[in-house]
Amino acid sequence: MTIHHHPSDETLMRLAAQQLGPGLAIVLSVHLRGCAVCRERHARFEAIGGVVLDDMPPAALAADLFARTMNGLDATERVKAEAPVASNHPALGIRLPRELDDCEIGPWKWLGPGLKWSKVRVAGDPDAKLMLLKGRAGVRLPAHGHSGLEFTQILAGSLSDQRGLYLPGDLDEADDDVEHQPIVGLQSDCICLAAVEGDTRLHGLLGRLMRPIVGY
Amino acid sequence: MNVAALHMAGNRSRKISGAARLVILNGRNKEPAPTPEMLIDLIVAVAQRQDREAFAQLFAYFAPRVKSFLMRSGLDAPAAEDLAQDVMITVWRKASYFDPALSGASTWVFTIARNRKIDRLRHMRARPVDILNDPSDARDTPPSAEELALMSEREERVRRAVASLSREQGAIVQLSFFSEKPHAEIARELGIPLGTVKSRVRLALTRLRALLDSDS
Repeated sequence: MTIHHHPSDETLMRLAAQQLGPGLAIVLSVHLRGCAVCRERHARFEAIGGVVLDDMPPAALAADLFARTMNGLDATERVKAEAPVASNHPALGIRLPRELDDCEIGPWKWLGPGLKWSKVRVAGDPDAKLMLLKGRAGVRLPAHGHSGLEFTQILAGSLSDQRGLYLPGDLDEADDDVEHQPIVGLQSDCICLAAVEGDTRLHGLLGRLMRPIVGY
Repeated sequence: MNVAALHMAGNRSRKISGAARLVILNGRNKEPAPTPEMLIDLIVAVAQRQDREAFAQLFAYFAPRVKSFLMRSGLDAPAAEDLAQDVMITVWRKASYFDPALSGASTWVFTIARNRKIDRLRHMRARPVDILNDPSDARDTPPSAEELALMSEREERVRRAVASLSREQGAIVQLSFFSEKPHAEIARELGIPLGTVKSRVRLALTRLRALLDSDS
């Protein structure tokens, strides 16, 4: 599968620095798992973090910190890397990426003609604006702009807008420069995972459509 | 892992314990910085046989740098030291998560420091999305020599690229990793208007990408 739409360098740098909220980070990690190109790009940005750490001037430590840490080691329970048992969410009738295993997935709800959404609750972060969206084949979404970052990862079907065609595995990164009116491909319904930046509200038509229903 | 690392480090580990002992005798702040390869072997020695001398050497190298990194990120000295100790204990506990086919030692420790910092600063229980420490990716075969070589090549390339950035661009990259509000801080530290930060960040990242790509 060739992936044509990827997150920007700045987004991957912010991910490596953990400056993106959990909602956006989850969408990106779904993309990374399917995209070898972005896994390598992401690895580079994390490696920059390693270089930044190496280049830090060493700070003075309390004289007894080392001894205290060593003495505490025996009381520390060591963690063994083990694969967790995979869980899944059969309720929506689709197989969800495992990045959502810890999330609580709401039922499909009506959002507009041919359009449904499901709220994804991130454990420990009630403010994360993460959702699944399902559009019927051929449905035209309302035109909208953005007031912050919005990531949309295509899980099934396709979307297209003035900027291109988005297929499963593609991630659309839209920011305040982007005004678009996505259309769901004719061949099948489209399901995607979307997140918007935590401290922004959806604006434009999609926002006006969604806000009373979705709450953001 | 980490049949992986076990396999790789098997032959070199005895030598390391000797080196670690020497370093402890010499005092923690005087030894020459260990090479990236040595740091990898030290983490593997901790994973494999709870090697306390190896851990002591990791502590001597990383704890002062992690504290410094956390102070640059806005924590006061006592909090940074407390968290640096926490990071080192996590290194001890989670050493078996370290996979030298995925990242170098400093990169891995950076991701731990970054995650603990986020936990502390955001008071959020949401687990940061963490690609280097995902137990579901635990491998059951050792990484190939090629994977290991690719990893260290990447880290070395990143190091050279960061070192070749101009002072301003290097500062932009560094600040992007320290700060929770990098754009505001970049504007302040470099004395440029907030409005131009976005384009400067973009320029720095374009330059970085050119350096990384031309070197590969």
